[in-house]
Amino acid sequence: MTTTISRRTLFAGLGLSAAAIGLSACTGSKSPNGSGSTSPFPTAWSDEISIDVFDGLANQMGTQPGWFAKIVKDKFNLKLNIIAPNVAGGGDTLYNTRVAAGNLGDLIITDKGQKMDELVPGGLLADMTVYYPNMTHAARFDKAVKHLNDGKNGVYGVPTQVSTLKPNESSEGVDPTFGPFLRWDLYGKVGYPAVGTLEDLLPVLKQMQDASPTADNGKKTYAISLFKDWDGNMMNNAKQPACYYGYDEVGFVLAMADGSDYQSILDSKSNYIRNLRWFHKANQMGLVDPDSTTQNYDTLFTKIQNGQVLFSFWPWQGQAAYNTDAHMAAGKGFMIAPLKDMKIFSYGAEAYGGKQILAIGSKAKDPERVAAFADWLFSSDGVYTNNSQTMGAAGPKGLTWDVNSAKLPELTDFGKKALVGGGADLPADWGGGTYKDGASWINTTLVMPIDKDPDTGYPYSYKMWKTYQDASKNPLTKDWASRMGGAATTMDYLRQNKQVIVGPGASFTTPTDSSEIETIRNQVKAIIIQQSWKMSFANSDSELESLLSDMQKTADGLGYQKVLAVDMAYAKAQNDARIAIVKEFA
Amino acid sequence: MTAPPVVTDQPSRIARGRGATSRRGSKKLFLSIVPLLVLVFLFSYFPLYGWVYSLFDYRPARGLSGSKFVGLQWFQLLVSSPTQVSQIVQVMANTLGMSFLGIASSVLPLAFAVFLNEVRSKWFRNTVQTLTTLPNFISWVLVYMIAFSMFSSTGLVNNVLVSSGIITIPVKFLDSDTHVWLAMAGWGIWKTLGWGAILYLAAISGIDQALYESAKVDGAGRFQTMWYITVPQLMPTYFVLLMLSVANILNNGMEQYYVFQNAFNKTHIQVLDLYVYNVGITGNSLSLATAVSMLKSIVSVVLLLTVNAIAKRVRGTSIV
Repeated sequence: MTTTISRRTLFAGLGLSAAAIGLSACTGSKSPNGSGSTSPFPTAWSDEISIDVFDGLANQMGTQPGWFAKIVKDKFNLKLNIIAPNVAGGGDTLYNTRVAAGNLGDLIITDKGQKMDELVPGGLLADMTVYYPNMTHAARFDKAVKHLNDGKNGVYGVPTQVSTLKPNESSEGVDPTFGPFLRWDLYGKVGYPAVGTLEDLLPVLKQMQDASPTADNGKKTYAISLFKDWDGNMMNNAKQPACYYGYDEVGFVLAMADGSDYQSILDSKSNYIRNLRWFHKANQMGLVDPDSTTQNYDTLFTKIQNGQVLFSFWPWQGQAAYNTDAHMAAGKGFMIAPLKDMKIFSYGAEAYGGKQILAIGSKAKDPERVAAFADWLFSSDGVYTNNSQTMGAAGPKGLTWDVNSAKLPELTDFGKKALVGGGADLPADWGGGTYKDGASWINTTLVMPIDKDPDTGYPYSYKMWKTYQDASKNPLTKDWASRMGGAATTMDYLRQNKQVIVGPGASFTTPTDSSEIETIRNQVKAIIIQQSWKMSFANSDSELESLLSDMQKTADGLGYQKVLAVDMAYAKAQNDARIAIVKEFA
Repeated sequence: MTAPPVVTDQPSRIARGRGATSRRGSKKLFLSIVPLLVLVFLFSYFPLYGWVYSLFDYRPARGLSGSKFVGLQWFQLLVSSPTQVSQIVQVMANTLGMSFLGIASSVLPLAFAVFLNEVRSKWFRNTVQTLTTLPNFISWVLVYMIAFSMFSSTGLVNNVLVSSGIITIPVKFLDSDTHVWLAMAGWGIWKTLGWGAILYLAAISGIDQALYESAKVDGAGRFQTMWYITVPQLMPTYFVLLMLSVANILNNGMEQYYVFQNAFNKTHIQVLDLYVYNVGITGNSLSLATAVSMLKSIVSVVLLLTVNAIAKRVRGTSIV
């Protein structure tokens, strides 16, 4: 008898497993004690648990180590097991397999729009409605939370990159996201030549490379070194110089920040193709690192640290790697060398948050604790410790920084050493190890670093503190400032010279593609990436041209124009949304 | 232990008994093959159910029941434009091309075994055999690591060539589109040569020594005994293995091509299995990938029927 029953239940279970998962997802999201968690989060948690953090932005995988792990353990008795699709590689492979298995993780950082829209009905995200009233820190940005969950019948996620700034103000404080950053010391060595436009940069880079053929470690230097990790709709590196001219990508479209121009990336006259030709020319001149095709971001970063690379598309790469105290004291480091005709794209503060969301998995072991942790990430403590270091996160108060006698936030000696001085080992009561290794692996900015900490009244980013800017003047920045009309920061210079253009932060997400468009898009982008790399490393101009026409023909044959029409519509919709939101917050 | 009932009608009972025994016997026999039937059903027929995914717009998050039924949309997409078709054609050409290279190189283990067998020094023979068999147990990922450390732009070979002044710019061995098929076949041979020779070495040890002795008496030299005795004796083994590899022509695996693929060689390295993986898992279009993978079954059936027709004509009997 018992066997019959168990068999019957087994079959019923098999037949209904999908439904059962869905059901348990719904019930699982309720408070574990069943009473509806209206009481505030507890301040102590008795048992230690390890949670899986599926993090679309993380660049490290495994258990979070070091001082950040210690803070999280002390506060929440949590261990963070970071699952990083970026590390696993292969695009959405990890996302898809985990979604198909029905459990993405306990804490989930993924994209809004298509992904969130399929995860909610798919029952993979927990409804945080019961916890949200207690999430007092996240509630500071209630408007953005409400906007994100509009029409979703619950609170399924909280936005990231929120701020209290206006959408048409740049979200970037000291440095832009993009910019032609190069080794200022070598640029000086060849006489600070003025650079008219992108193409004029190559002879300058050539001179710089010739002036310093080998790095300090004896390896050959290259002006430009590329990597493929972030290729998406196109070869990521080849998009970057387009951002120096005010463009950003919307699918296969490069859209000007102010809506004045929209380019199809495959148009022979587009900035994307211009950049591919630029790479090609650079490679012909011997300026491109031959490892470019095989290396990853980490290898490249190490090369920049070693001084083997002379140009960086981004300040948060070149400066973060090379501008240590010692280098800057010797006048060495990455600084922006303006192109005369550039107009750098700058992200406006996203009124309703950035592209990613923070959500709780429907199968989370202890959803209340995960919610408490997620909320803490929005607190001042959370922002200082969790924000990425390249974004100027100051670290734990009392260790790396503190408020000084003049009530100004200031880096401590340890902080200076750890954050800008090339690293420091932590004291034993912080768990030891280097400061850098123990930083948060979550790599997601929840509150913009330019936003002001309500407790101190100053921005979260130490780079914007007056105490830091005064203390960090060094031969490098002094030399740069003297040639830049005395500008204090890159952004100051760009603003003064009107070389920056802000794309207002409309928190616009492209709607979900139809399955046909999505499939064609994926086929086409595979071809574009493949051909773009081939073009960059083509042996001759004629090979370049034939690869280009090959790419255009193949892409068109696969249905590129169909997808392009969709992206054009999205790009224009984004512009409308930008105009609308600027009006709304004016 | 109850007493047997009184027997009254013996002959008919025996007949009945025989019938029952044979029925019981056949039931037993049937039961004994049931596990195999279940396995065949589970692993050979049940997966065919997965083909329904090609009729839906499958989204992992929503599950099959929540996904939209789209009919033959994906199949239409595959033939919607000449470019789509030429992509599939290129993939099929890669699959068949590299498979045929693999089959063509299947004589190499045979030759290797025959020559290795002639080596007199036992320790040398054993060492060679061990060293050539080992690569078979290395996963393709590790093989790629070896390839990378040898042939990348900062690899051993380039370092030696550059520092000895033969070349100034590193040669791009791995990210080039020239001779991809041959290079892949080469890696395949390197990995499987010793392993493939094992069967032949075993077969060689089974050859009747009297054949060699009488040949020697007749004055045959070493190459003559190899050519006229060893090789013909190995032919049955060779043909069995050849048949098996022909049957597997479309299953040339994807690990090797997956680890070696990059933007530069992708056009010529994408075999069917890899293409399905790239479309389905990397490209996030599981339904289209299912439709593409069904091609494999169709091509297999066509191949089978072709071979069958040839067998019928040549041997007079069909294999199915």
